[in-house]
Amino acid sequence: MVYIIVFIVLATLFLRLLVGVEARTLLTLYLLGLIIFLFSFTVAEMPPFGCPDNPVFNEVHWRYLEAGVAETGAVNIISSVILDYRAFDTLGEATVLFVAIAAVIATLKSH
Amino acid sequence: MPFIQVYGIYVIINGHLSPGGGFSSGAIFGASLVLVALSFNLEAGVKQISHQTSSILESGGALGYVLVGLAAIIMGGNYLSNQGAGFPIGQAGELFSAGAILIITLFLGIKVASTIVTLFYNIIEGEK
Repeated sequence: MVYIIVFIVLATLFLRLLVGVEARTLLTLYLLGLIIFLFSFTVAEMPPFGCPDNPVFNEVHWRYLEAGVAETGAVNIISSVILDYRAFDTLGEATVLFVAIAAVIATLKSH
Repeated sequence: MPFIQVYGIYVIINGHLSPGGGFSSGAIFGASLVLVALSFNLEAGVKQISHQTSSILESGGALGYVLVGLAAIIMGGNYLSNQGAGFPIGQAGELFSAGAILIITLFLGIKVASTIVTLFYNIIEGEK
């Protein structure tokens, strides 16, 4: 931790005094570095891809596969998920389309 | 163009039976109307579907989706619920089955098709 702070202070002095980088650019660089740091931690904590004891492999997909046809009447499992179990999510997608087209019309018709 | 539209309608009404559904069928149907303007000219495309018609279809598709959800509440279920609200499920695998899914797919297809058409014509006319 101390080494990191010393490195940041030295890098700031070097870039600011010797190279002549503006303070605004330097602040942007540090913020980007912080974001990369946080994202790297998040990715490192993620479960491995395709591992059978991941939290996504729970009982929900068995319910969809076994009871989906009886509960929704749709042979297509994807339709039964997106339009019955997750219909509110699809309504949100339709709202996104609606807002996008309203924004396009408002932008292009205004001049 | 009629063949593309027939295929789009087929994908809409088979959305709960075969791969497809509201979004993809709307894309097929909208592309058939866009192709008119691409192959002839802009006036021929606008003659097929006017701006007012497409915006009415656009709003009507979104409104229909919400109304199906509200109808489920009136029939005594949760918002956008299918079997719990008493929509007729029918025999699985037949054309008119799956209750609200078929109706929602229809409205979603109308909405996506008119979205593509409105977007295309607005951007093209913005060039002039």
